[in-house]
Amino acid sequence: MTELSYESAPFAVRGDLTAAHRRAWRRLSHPGTWWTGHQRVAIAAETRKAQSCSLCRERRAAVSPFAIEGEHDSLGTLPEPIVDVIHRIRTDPGRLTQSWYQQVLVSGVSDAAYVEIVSVVATVVAVDTFARGIGIPAPALPDPVGGEPSRTRPASAKLDVAWVPMIGAEGTTGPEADLYGGGSLIPNIGRALSLVPAEARAFFDLSTAHYFSLNELMEVTKGRAISRPQIELIAARVSALNQCFY
Amino acid sequence: MLLRVSGQVSGADVDLSLVMGHALGNGGVPHGQSLIAFVEAVMGDDNGVLANWREQLAEEIGGEGLVDAAAVIAMFNYVDRVADATGIPLDDMLDSTTREIRSHLGIDNFKLAKSG
Repeated sequence: MTELSYESAPFAVRGDLTAAHRRAWRRLSHPGTWWTGHQRVAIAAETRKAQSCSLCRERRAAVSPFAIEGEHDSLGTLPEPIVDVIHRIRTDPGRLTQSWYQQVLVSGVSDAAYVEIVSVVATVVAVDTFARGIGIPAPALPDPVGGEPSRTRPASAKLDVAWVPMIGAEGTTGPEADLYGGGSLIPNIGRALSLVPAEARAFFDLSTAHYFSLNELMEVTKGRAISRPQIELIAARVSALNQCFY
Repeated sequence: MLLRVSGQVSGADVDLSLVMGHALGNGGVPHGQSLIAFVEAVMGDDNGVLANWREQLAEEIGGEGLVDAAAVIAMFNYVDRVADATGIPLDDMLDSTTREIRSHLGIDNFKLAKSG
């Protein structure tokens, strides 16, 4: 398949942004830490399918999304518990709860496999949202690459302040020594995916192109073609619409 | 809530209620109203409304600015899902320095709804 390109977009897209999306698509297509390339692309495809799911629409309209039973409109390539995780994260993330997450674990999905799903879903949402913003169709998903996931779990990850185990600053040794770039500021969002270090690195890669790197985060005078207050206004409004307090 | 800090540093008198769609005008942020309308259009499902605001915003801030605005919307659609699905709390520093603003704007209600 052809590489992701924004050459036909109505607005010139920064080269670093295009490059970051190409890297994201390449990662998506390859075996991850807990899922194969085929499974990762299937998770991405299911993420897109969730937008037209009638059960998700009904749940979003309900007072509690957990009160509505039913089957998702899915592509049929992934087990139903995985489909449910993908659809809920895609369509109604603001109402996920820790008790729901615990039920996901009981259903047989490991905490690390769950974190990788979160990362894949969020990546597809980011790329698709960007495409919608600049007025082009969402790019075609990449062809999956064969091979097995690495299935390596960082020994230093532990339960701390989140639902999922994370690596703290003190845990960045050995293969994870570079994880946070040696910086002293590690916001919780930067640690959120660290149970799967490859996905945490993917987060920093996308963030650097879309927003700022960890080191630039507190440089509050730093802007892009728009000023920092404009950037932060957009960020805050998105989070408000997503009903996310973060 | 880096909006308040970045506004203070740049000398702008930012009306934070703009975040919740309650401010009149630009709220102290250049093109604030159009940026908010563009965010809402990208997050919404009306393609016609989105096309109008995309054109309007590009006229106001240029194509490069529009691309950067779309990139930030995309990033926080990503960030919010990661935050919500992993259950991370606000960082201690942000929690203590933004408590009053979050309460005033009703942002803490999102947190309460999740724990219910």
